Amino acid sequence: MKKSIASLSALLIAGSLFLSACSSDKGGNSANESANTPAASPTASAPADSGVIQASDLSKLPDTAKQRTDTIIVGLTDPSGAFTPYFHQSGYDGNVSSLLYTPLVTVDNKGVPIPALAESWDISPDNLTYTFHLRKDLKFSDGSPLTADDVAFTWTLLHDKAYDGDSQVPALHVKGGEAYKEGKASSIEGIKVIDPLTVSVTLEQPNASALTTLGSDVLSKAYYGKDYKFGQLDYIKKLHEKPVGTGPYKLEKFIPGQEVRFVANEYYYKGKPKTEHFIYKTSEGDTWQFLETGEIDFASFSATQENIEKLKSLGFVNILPYTPSTYGYLQVNLEHEALKDKKVRQAIAYGLDRQSIYVDANQGAGAVANIPSSPISWAYTEEGINPYKYDPEKAKALLDEAGWKVGADGIREKDGKQLTIHYLGSKKKDTDIFIAVAKENFAELGIKFEPEVFADFNALVSKVEGGDYDLASFSTPLLTDPADGLIQFVDGEIKGYDNPKFKELYDKGLATNDLEERKQIYKELFQLANDELPVIFTNYRKTVYAYNGRIQNLDVSPFNGIAPSLPDWYLQ
Amino acid sequence: MSTIGSEITKAGTAGTAPVRSSMWRQAARRLLKNRLAMLGLAVVVFMFAFCFIGPLFSPYTDNKIHLAQMNKPPSPQHWLGTDALGRDVLTRVMQAGRISLTVGLASMVLSVFIGSLLGAIAGYFRGICDQIIMRLADLLLTIPGLPLLFILGALLSDWKVPTEYRMYIVMLMLSLVNWPGLARMVRGEVLSLREREFMQAATVLGLRNRRKLFNHLLPNLVPLIIVIASLNVGGAILSESVLSFFGLGVMPPTPTWGNMIDSANNMIDFQKRPWLWIPPGFSIFATVIAINIFGDGLRDVLDPRPRK
Amino acid sequence: MSAFITKRLLYTVVILFAASLLIFSLYALTPGDFITGNIKLTPERKAELREIYGLNKPVLERYAIWLKNALHGDLGYSMAQQKPVLTLFNQYIWNSFLLAAVSTFLTWVTAVIIGCVAAYKQYSWFDTLVMVAIFAAMSLPSFFIGLFLIKILAVDWKLLPPGGMIATGSQATGLAYVKEVIHHMTLPVIVMTIMGVGSLARYIRGSMIDVIKQDYIRTARAKGLKERKVLFTHALRNAMLPAITLVGFELPALFGGSLIIEKIFNWPGIGQLYLTSFGLRDYPLLMGFTVLIAILTVIGTLLSDILYRVADPRVRLQ
Repeated sequence: MKKSIASLSALLIAGSLFLSACSSDKGGNSANESANTPAASPTASAPADSGVIQASDLSKLPDTAKQRTDTIIVGLTDPSGAFTPYFHQSGYDGNVSSLLYTPLVTVDNKGVPIPALAESWDISPDNLTYTFHLRKDLKFSDGSPLTADDVAFTWTLLHDKAYDGDSQVPALHVKGGEAYKEGKASSIEGIKVIDPLTVSVTLEQPNASALTTLGSDVLSKAYYGKDYKFGQLDYIKKLHEKPVGTGPYKLEKFIPGQEVRFVANEYYYKGKPKTEHFIYKTSEGDTWQFLETGEIDFASFSATQENIEKLKSLGFVNILPYTPSTYGYLQVNLEHEALKDKKVRQAIAYGLDRQSIYVDANQGAGAVANIPSSPISWAYTEEGINPYKYDPEKAKALLDEAGWKVGADGIREKDGKQLTIHYLGSKKKDTDIFIAVAKENFAELGIKFEPEVFADFNALVSKVEGGDYDLASFSTPLLTDPADGLIQFVDGEIKGYDNPKFKELYDKGLATNDLEERKQIYKELFQLANDELPVIFTNYRKTVYAYNGRIQNLDVSPFNGIAPSLPDWYLQ
Repeated sequence: MSTIGSEITKAGTAGTAPVRSSMWRQAARRLLKNRLAMLGLAVVVFMFAFCFIGPLFSPYTDNKIHLAQMNKPPSPQHWLGTDALGRDVLTRVMQAGRISLTVGLASMVLSVFIGSLLGAIAGYFRGICDQIIMRLADLLLTIPGLPLLFILGALLSDWKVPTEYRMYIVMLMLSLVNWPGLARMVRGEVLSLREREFMQAATVLGLRNRRKLFNHLLPNLVPLIIVIASLNVGGAILSESVLSFFGLGVMPPTPTWGNMIDSANNMIDFQKRPWLWIPPGFSIFATVIAINIFGDGLRDVLDPRPRK
Repeated sequence: MSAFITKRLLYTVVILFAASLLIFSLYALTPGDFITGNIKLTPERKAELREIYGLNKPVLERYAIWLKNALHGDLGYSMAQQKPVLTLFNQYIWNSFLLAAVSTFLTWVTAVIIGCVAAYKQYSWFDTLVMVAIFAAMSLPSFFIGLFLIKILAVDWKLLPPGGMIATGSQATGLAYVKEVIHHMTLPVIVMTIMGVGSLARYIRGSMIDVIKQDYIRTARAKGLKERKVLFTHALRNAMLPAITLVGFELPALFGGSLIIEKIFNWPGIGQLYLTSFGLRDYPLLMGFTVLIAILTVIGTLLSDILYRVADPRVRLQ
C-alpha cells in the first residue's frame, strides 16, 4: 500500500511536469518555447514596449557566477541529443542546433530576410526561381569547405521518402521533388549547382516563404552524405551527437539530462565568438533557484508584476521584456449548428471577459489578441480591427438577433435546443483561470457551459480531432512569416471554414515578395478574420528574460532566439 | 499458551448473538475511556462540521471571482486571505473539505475492503485460489498507471459521463486495480496466522471455514487493516488532486484540498503566500492525524489478544 | 523449494507475455500518438509520417513486430530522441538507481529504528512526536518538502546545490567527481527518505506492538535476556514479517526513478525521461521501460515470497 501512495503522489508531480511540457499549447512537441513556466528556452520572443531594466547592484552577484570568466550558462528545458537540423523531433534540440549551424538566410527582428551564409540572392520575376550566392571561403567546423554542392545535397536529402522531420522544404513543390521522392529520378530537376558559390532552385508554384525555408541550415555532403542511400536515413541517427556545422559554437560534450557544452568555433564566418565556452543547462520547471544561486546566467519568466519585482530585488540581473511571436485562440467547432452563425461567435468574443482572464488574472503578463498575427510581426496592425471589448449587453443582443432566446431556466434556446458550449482545455493554470471566469461570463449570457479538462496536449488534440467539442484553447507555434499564422484557415486544419475570398487573399500574400504590398494584403486578411472570427482570438503572452548583469551585447531575436547575438556576448 | 487456550474457549462459546454484542459493547466502553482516541474522533467530527456546516456562515461563495481582491493576505474581511482570483480562501477550504473528506474516506474504505478480502481469501484457502488471486495481482502490478488514467479519461469523455460523477467512477476503478499491494500484505499476515496454535486448534475442533475465517482470523487481522487504512487516508485525499490533474477529478473552479495545494506549486506562492497552502495542508494534516490517532485507539480496543 | 521456484518462474513467463500485450495495447489506446501533437504538420504529412513509422498498422501487428524484435534484444529507437532505447536506459537509469538505492537503504534503517523505539515506548513523547512528524510529511505533497528544503538549504543558506547532479561545467574527475555527486544528491535523498520513512515506520511500529505482547517475548524476558537483545533480535525478526512482503516492491522502485524528486531537483533520471516520453507518446521507449519495470515487479514479488518463506519457517512451501 505504501507503494500505491507513492505511485499516486508520483502521478501528482506528473501533473506539474506536464504543465511545463505542454504549456506551449499547440506547439506540442515541436514548439521551441514553453509558455508560462519559467523554464528558459530562449527562442521566439521579441522586444515589447519597454526596454531593458539594468541590474541595480552587481555586487549581489552570487560567487558561483562571479568565478566564471569565459563561460556563459543558459537554462534549456530538455535537449535530447538529436542535434542535426531538420531531423530533431524536439524544439529544445532545435535550440541547440541553432548554435551549431548558421542558415543561408536569416531574418531581422521584424522578420525581414537578411543575408547570413548566403551573401545575396536573386528571385526570378515569376517568383519561381531562387538563386543563392554563397560567401567566399566558408568552412564547416571540421575545417572542410562549404560549397553549393552541400546546399544542393541538403535540399535533396529532405526530399527522401524516409525523411521524417518537419522541414517545410518538401512541401514547397520544388520542380522534380515529387519524382525524386517516389524514386523515379536520381536527382531533383529543379535544384542546380551553377558554380561552387552559386546554387539555384526552381519551384512549381510561387511561395513567398520559400526564401527563408530554403535558406536554412546547410549539411556537409562529405560528412552527412557519405553513407547516404536513397530511402535509408537511419545512419544519420548515429551522427546526431557528433555534429559538423557552421554555427558560432561547436559541440564539446553532451551529458544527457544535464548539460550541453559548447566551445567557440574558429571557422565561424563572422570570426570566433568572444566567449570561449557556452553551456545549455537542462533545467525543467522552476528556474528561480538556479538564477538566484548563480548556476545559470540567463532565464525566462512570465512577465507578471511580482516576477518582475522579484527579479529587480535580486539586483544582479538585467531584465529584458519580450513578447513571444505567437497568438492564442479558442478553436470553434464550425461544424456545429449554433457556432456556424457568425453572430454567435461574435457574441462569445464580446461576452468573454478576455481582459480579466488573460491580463488581470495573469498580473499583466499578457495582452488581448484580436487578429491572427503576433504583435511583433511587421504585418501587425490595429487599423480597422474590432477590439471586441468586454460587453455582455452587446453579446446578449447579438444572441437575440441570432434567434437564441432566453428560455424558462435562464438558458437560451432555439428550435427547442439549448445553447451549450462544450469547452476543452489541457490541464494547466491558465485553463483553470479560463474556466473559473468563463463559467461566470457564460452564465450571465444564458449559455450552458460544460468544461472538460484533458491531461496533456496529445489527449486534447485527439479529442478535438474527434470533433466532439464547441470551443478548445490553443496557441500557435512560433510564427515567422505572417502567412504562418494564417495557414490553418486555408489548409483545412480549421474544419468547416471555407472562405474563397480568404484563400484568394492568402495566395496573393504569398505570390509577391514586396513587403509593402504584402502588408496591405495582410491588413485586409486580418480585418476579414477579425470580423468573421473563424476562431476566437484570445491573447498574447508576455515574458521577461533575466540575465547576469555582466553579460554585454545580449540581444534576443524574436525569431531566432539568442543564436544571432550570442557570438558577440562577453562577460564584463 | 494458556491465554490462547482460554481465547479459544471464549471464542468457542461466543457463537450466540447476546454474548457477541456484549463483546462489542465492552470494546465501545474501552474506546470511550481512551482519551487520545476520543480526541481524534472529536477532531474528525469537527472537520466534518467545519466543512459541511461552516460554509453556511460564510459571507462569500467559494467560486465568486473578485480580481481586485486577488492574492490578499489574511485580514478581518478574509480571515485566511484570498487566492489568485480573489476568492476567499477560508470559504474554499471549507467547501474543498466536503469533497476531500468524502472522497478520501470512501476510496480508502473501498480499496482496503477489496484488498483485505482478496488477501484473506488467498491466504486462507491457499492452493488454486491463492494462485489465481496472486498471479492476477502480479499482472495488475505490471500495468502502468498513466495510460490507464488517460484511456479512462478519454472513454468517460466520449461516453458523456457528466464531469461531476467521473471522479467517483475513477476512484472505483482505481480501487479495483490498486488492491495487489494491500492484498499481499494481508495474505502474508493470514499465512502466518493460519499456522498459529489457535487456528490449528480451531481446525482440530472441526470448526467450519466461515466460522474460522470470520470469528477467528478476521479479528486478528483487524489491527493490521486499521493501520493500513488509517495510513491510507492521507494518500487518498491527496490522490484526488492527481485525478483532477488528469481531467478525471473535480472540475475547476470547484476546490478540493489537493488541488488547492497543487495550485501553489511554485516558488513565488510558496515563499510569498503561505496562506494559499497552509490552510489546505493543515486541514489534511489535522484530518490524517486525527484519523490515525482514532485508528490506533480502535486497534487497541479491537485487538483480540490479551492486554498487559 | 526448487519445485516451487520452477513453477513460479513458469507462471512468471506467462504473466510477462500477458502483461506485455496488455501494456502494448494500453499505450496504443492512449489518446493521441507520436504525430498528433506536432501541429506544424499538414494532415497529409501526418498520414505520410504514420506510414513511415508504421503507426497506421493494426495494434496486434505492431505488437508482433515489437515482440519479435524485443526477443532478439532489440528494443528499437526512441522516436523523439532518435537513440536506441537501451542506450537511453543506460544513460538515465543508473542515475535514478543511485538516488533510489541510497534513499531506500536509509529509509529502511531509519524506519526500523524509529518503528522499534516508538513501539517499545508506545504513547511516550518520542512516539507522539515521531507520529506527528510522520503525518506532517504524509499530508504535504513531496514537491512542497522539496521546495522548502531548496529554499532554505540551497537558496538562503547556500549549503547545498539547488539541483542537478554535478556543478554546471564541472571538469571534476575521480574522487572529486564522486564528492560532487554526493554533494548534489544529499537534498533529493533527504526528501525521498522523509517521504518513504513514514508509512514504513508505522507498519513496523504496528507489528512490533503486536509482537512485544506475544508469549515468546515474555518468555525471552523471563529468561533474563537483555532488553535490547529481546527487542532487536527476537521481536524485530518477527515484526519484520509483514514488512518483508514490501521488500519485493522496492525492486522495481529502485530502477523506476522518481518523477517528483527528479523534476524538483533537476536530477537526470529515468522518471523524468519516462514522463516526457509519455507526453510525446514515444512508444518504443515507453514499451521498453514499462516492460523492464514489469519484469522487475514480477521478480520482486517472487523474491519477497521466497524471502517470506525463508524468514517464517511456519509458513510451509507449496
